Amino acid sequence: MSKISRRRFFEGTGAGIVATAVPVAGQQPRPAAQTPSAPRSTIQITVNGVPHKIEIEDRWTLVEVLRDHLGLTGAKIGCDRGECGACTVLLDGKPVYSCSQLAVWADRRSVVTVEGLAQEGKLDPLQEAFIEHDGPQCGFCTSGQLMSAKALLNHNPHPTADEVRAAMTGNICRCSNYNRYVESVLAAAGSLSASVGRKA
Amino acid sequence: MNTLNSVGHPSPRIDALKRVTGTATYTGDLRLPGMLYARVLRSPHPHARIRRIDVSRAQALAGVKAILTRENCDVVWGSGDTRNKRYLFNNPVRFAGDAVAALAAVDRHTAEEATRLIQVDYEPLPFVLDPEEALKPGAVEIQPGGNLSPDNQGAHEPEVYRRGNIEEGLRAADQVFEDHYTSAHINNAQLEPRVSIAQWEGDRLTVFASTQGISNCHTEIARDLKLAPEKVRVICQFMGGGFGNKNQCHDFDLMAAMLAKQAGAPVKLEFTRKEDFVSVHGRWPTKQYYKVGVKRDGTLTAIQLRGYSGMGPYRKGTGGIAGIEVYQCTHVERSVAPVYTNMAVSANLRGPDFPQGVFGIESLMDDVAYALKMDPVEFRLKNMTRKFNDQTPYTSIGLEDCLRRGAEAFEWSKRWHATPGEGSGPVKRGAGMAMGSFFSSLGRSSAVIDVDSRGMYHVHVGVTDIGTAAKTTMALIAAEELGVPLEKIDLIWGDTDRCPYSVGESGSRTTTHTGYAVIQAAKDLKKQIAEKGLPQGDALLTATANTNPTVPGMARYSFVAHFAEVEVDTETGHVRVVKYVAAHDSGRVVNPLTATSQVKGGATMGVGMALHEELLYDRATGLPLTAGYYGARVMTHRDAPEVEVLWIETEDAYGPFGAKTLGEPTIIPSVAAVANAIYNAIGKRVKDLPITRDKILGVLA
Repeated sequence: MSKISRRRFFEGTGAGIVATAVPVAGQQPRPAAQTPSAPRSTIQITVNGVPHKIEIEDRWTLVEVLRDHLGLTGAKIGCDRGECGACTVLLDGKPVYSCSQLAVWADRRSVVTVEGLAQEGKLDPLQEAFIEHDGPQCGFCTSGQLMSAKALLNHNPHPTADEVRAAMTGNICRCSNYNRYVESVLAAAGSLSASVGRKA
Repeated sequence: MNTLNSVGHPSPRIDALKRVTGTATYTGDLRLPGMLYARVLRSPHPHARIRRIDVSRAQALAGVKAILTRENCDVVWGSGDTRNKRYLFNNPVRFAGDAVAALAAVDRHTAEEATRLIQVDYEPLPFVLDPEEALKPGAVEIQPGGNLSPDNQGAHEPEVYRRGNIEEGLRAADQVFEDHYTSAHINNAQLEPRVSIAQWEGDRLTVFASTQGISNCHTEIARDLKLAPEKVRVICQFMGGGFGNKNQCHDFDLMAAMLAKQAGAPVKLEFTRKEDFVSVHGRWPTKQYYKVGVKRDGTLTAIQLRGYSGMGPYRKGTGGIAGIEVYQCTHVERSVAPVYTNMAVSANLRGPDFPQGVFGIESLMDDVAYALKMDPVEFRLKNMTRKFNDQTPYTSIGLEDCLRRGAEAFEWSKRWHATPGEGSGPVKRGAGMAMGSFFSSLGRSSAVIDVDSRGMYHVHVGVTDIGTAAKTTMALIAAEELGVPLEKIDLIWGDTDRCPYSVGESGSRTTTHTGYAVIQAAKDLKKQIAEKGLPQGDALLTATANTNPTVPGMARYSFVAHFAEVEVDTETGHVRVVKYVAAHDSGRVVNPLTATSQVKGGATMGVGMALHEELLYDRATGLPLTAGYYGARVMTHRDAPEVEVLWIETEDAYGPFGAKTLGEPTIIPSVAAVANAIYNAIGKRVKDLPITRDKILGVLA
């Protein structure tokens, strides 16, 4: 009989523990507990325009550092294996699965998360459109959908519906609200009047 | 239908801002001071006896704070279920993924490392995956008492429904059609992985859960851990989907609580995506054998179903196979056996009994219509249900309108062709449709509304919002009944210390149950305000409603018909859904914006179930092969068709402003509609879900 190793049940990476004073997200944590054997590095990383110098374990992924060290829990861990896209952030402007990037790779680079979309208290047009056109159902994939859409509009301000689908196809929505997400992105791009239908 | 002020108007979600700014706090986003991280060790065998577990090396690892196995934890999960006994940790283990041990450590990496240090000596046992095989003499016994799972009375019998006399019905037929269908195990695959955080303060337990129903979760945690209900608090502020597998409490809630107790510190237990796929539950796989008797004019005389549902090794769902109830027919017999197997556990996934059953019966009814040279829509109009089980009148029924107006919006007569498979290809087009119904229950729920001196209304309801927009729906209903703008409603949800009982978001019941309670509380409060005026200073006026409405002598159902057009590439087997119309009678639609999203989502999920989703098992090893989003092939942006939604708003005298149920009907006929469209395109029928490319090429060969 072939075996699956126990390890395969734990493919996901984890994160170092950080403790905060209150049970809410987004608090600046105290330094992480140290696992003696794990090699560590110090990285410099700009997140949503703010520079950070952080000591990390080399095995930590970018999403672990964002969520557990910087308190930015907008990026979600849906699969931790590069399949679902809930952890999508912009790395030097390009959308990446932050679960599949080691934090050390982000050294001296710039990251934008969903928390960095709104500027000076004003929502990004994508966020406005996601509200108006009911993009999020459960909302767990929404941050990732927004970041993929943002990357698309940055280089293609007026995409067609099929271009939106292609750009966002790495972002799974199990509520399957795909129609609404496409509609939202087209609305934000000011091209909703263009048919949302597929090419026949 | 009369127009209302708040209800019936498209309204963005009241919590939408949080959902688009990353500030909605899901359970996994929470951290408690001193919190430990927990992981679970699972069986790599589909069936095995554990000879010995050695945790000493794990225990010796620095940072490990608590370890649970069967030897120090005999908590029974679902202890109120008389059908079988499921411990948190079982011996023998009965499926690949059954929990063997759980541990908590100072960080995730340490917890993972420690889990790998636990040594388990397994004695592999024979296993069985197929529910029909599992009932054969000599099959390995998975649970004491045999593999036919018992009912609540302990009887090891199939679930049987009969009306008329099936033999008589088959004799009365001019023609009898006979066929069989199968459906696969599919995981719910909600985006938010399972997570639970447990914290003890003295003898009082708080569980930050990811649950569809805080009230049931609360009751069951207290029962399974033998705690007084007031010693347990369940909180769930935002949750990332469930589709039926986050009802009640789960083993991970209980494990987190027991680990936290042993460690003397709060514990967060997280599942990996793979664990989520194999260790919780998905939709039960089925085998369905039908006989249908019909007169030459298309009148049904008999419908018979013998079905088998693979429940995995522990009973959690009904195992039902539904669909035939949407037909009018004098002689009906349905016998469904819920069977233990060594596959992943099966239980609720959006419309638990329905889409697979509707796929079976609607495939066969389609064949009957073609054989009689009848238009499938006409055939259904002729034979659709008029009374529930031909006996009980419906409170309202919009099924005929769903069929007629849906067909019209879809341009059925233009898209469907009477000769299936006609056309030269290689890409062929075809149209299909199917119908369904779903129980729109009324029942027990509660609501509390306070009004303060500023005229703000604080509506306390025990709902979590799993993506259905339940919070917004409750707020709209409150605003409507109170006669105030939506902005005057402050909703309090998702905390058993602050909210009264709600049935939870299962069975598509929140709107009809809890919405009704909100109306009654609002009526009471209005009366109090009329008598006393608004309160002064810090005082509040409070109204509480505990409601349990019934519908005497009538059946209350939602109805639905879906229409799909597909393109099938006969050289590659690839299917593309090019047009889709969903016609729904859910009574009055409370919020057309979010309700339409529900339909679009449910229909799209059904397309995935029809075409590619499956948790595939290796028959030689009993191990799951496709546990993950890529492997199980859930729908993506590129797969999703544009779904057009048509509301058939029947007037219904019951429920909140006449609203009927919605969330689950959205998936019910979708699988069958796509399957029937494929048949119309290629003239060959695939009878086993999912209808993958290889199967299409197989029937075309």
